[in-house]
Amino acid sequence: MSDFILLYLDPGTGSLIVQAIIAGFLALAFYFKLAKNAVTDWVLGLFGKKRTIEEEISNDESSQ
Amino acid sequence: MKALNSSFRDPSGFVFVQENNIFRVVNNSYRDNYDSLMSKLYPTLRQAELLIPHKEIDFDATKNTNQYKLLQAEKIPFISYPYEWSFSQYQDAALNTLAIQRKALEQGMTLKDASAYNIQFHKGKPIFIDTLSFEKYEEGSPWMAYGQFCRHFLAPLALMSYHDPRMGAMMRDYIDGIPLDLASILLPFKSRFRVPLFLHIHLHASSQKRHANSENKAAKTNRKISRAAMMGLMDSLENGIKKLRLKTNRTEWGKYYEETILSDDYLTKKQTLVSDLLENVDAKLVWDLGANDGTFSRLAAQRAYTIAFDIDHLAVEYNYLNIKEKQEKNILPLLLDLTNPSPAIGWNNEERDSVFRREKPDLILALALVHHLAISNNVPLNKLAAFFAQLTPQLIIEFVPKSDPRVRTLLTTREDIFPDYTHEGFEVAFSEFFTINRKQKIEGTDRILYFMKQA
Repeated sequence: MSDFILLYLDPGTGSLIVQAIIAGFLALAFYFKLAKNAVTDWVLGLFGKKRTIEEEISNDESSQ
Repeated sequence: MKALNSSFRDPSGFVFVQENNIFRVVNNSYRDNYDSLMSKLYPTLRQAELLIPHKEIDFDATKNTNQYKLLQAEKIPFISYPYEWSFSQYQDAALNTLAIQRKALEQGMTLKDASAYNIQFHKGKPIFIDTLSFEKYEEGSPWMAYGQFCRHFLAPLALMSYHDPRMGAMMRDYIDGIPLDLASILLPFKSRFRVPLFLHIHLHASSQKRHANSENKAAKTNRKISRAAMMGLMDSLENGIKKLRLKTNRTEWGKYYEETILSDDYLTKKQTLVSDLLENVDAKLVWDLGANDGTFSRLAAQRAYTIAFDIDHLAVEYNYLNIKEKQEKNILPLLLDLTNPSPAIGWNNEERDSVFRREKPDLILALALVHHLAISNNVPLNKLAAFFAQLTPQLIIEFVPKSDPRVRTLLTTREDIFPDYTHEGFEVAFSEFFTINRKQKIEGTDRILYFMKQA
């Protein structure tokens, strides 16, 4: 590939496409986290406890 | 009014400075996005102290029909750039950007830029300064700033973590972030086993390569990204950033610090003397050059906003972690190599200012520094005096003579080509620019502390 062609290469397209490629995996991971949080809340609820604030911040922010 | 040299890319508006105040013009083209930001997201981001505050100012709309609003933004006392941040500063800047993007998405907006230059340190914490970076989020659309986030934050942090914190200096060469193909080559093979790094650097880089020249881009980039996937993307980037660590720990810093100081007695005496000298100083901005972990910067910070510059990454890192822990607001630790200071970079070499073209100090502290510049770096004393004189009207400076054990160490591996390096030679050189107001020997050493002023 010549240097001249390099100047016309566009990295932006690849950045958008890779999001589409990994979207399914990321969505799955997100749902898994929601499910995990729900189960943790339920189990802790049985003992009258709550997740610690740190856990909520790191696990829960996106589910609000 | 002239736009700042860094403010030319965004058609939504621009920034200008007038009488030391920072103003931002919002153009009509950004009207909908601005109104949307101010209705709900701005208060949320302000409450979390993630975004710089601004107020709307009245302006003459007949003069510029293209203008929708005029904003006055709170001023950042000293502008810094990513190649001057230590690892944890950089990491916190990345997390600030992601926290903003999450809150934006929750309220139907998204960041169109994720540049590390949109973050500044203010009151001890990173804060986002580009009020016009927000646009309405349409469900299904990808994050347009994803590539930029990876280049500006994830790639440099991963390189700093896997190799050495000095890798952050690469940001000086690559103003739009470290190219991902380069980051992918430089990172060790084992980084591929960390999911976020595999996805957002290695796979991302190969996708860029594969599709860089491909036909029919519109069809390929048209695929929808669900909201869940978008949230998953934020989780993944955040996990990736949070799990990166420096290859060192606090115990090592403790040891490092102990080795750096000469003795507790010397330190206490010098602290008393410097505090005493600071009493007579009138300053808003202080630079502490060669600040180490910021022991003396803290004395200055009781009176003025203080920048604690040091060449040593761990010293800056240790200082920042202390500031974070104690929630100190008046000190900013930054990396600076005085023998090769941050240059002006970017378009026309004026997009990002060199360190000496930014806000100048009213006072410089130069403690246990001169021998490094004069002897290790061969800078003649008259050039050193001229250097300080162009930067500051007031100077607290420590002269460390040849009889000092530290200088003797420096001279063991060098030929002594410094005949003028004496107390007398030092005073003659500096008297050309400064008046020596006070002069005080540090007891138990041959070191002398000077307080000087320019006429």
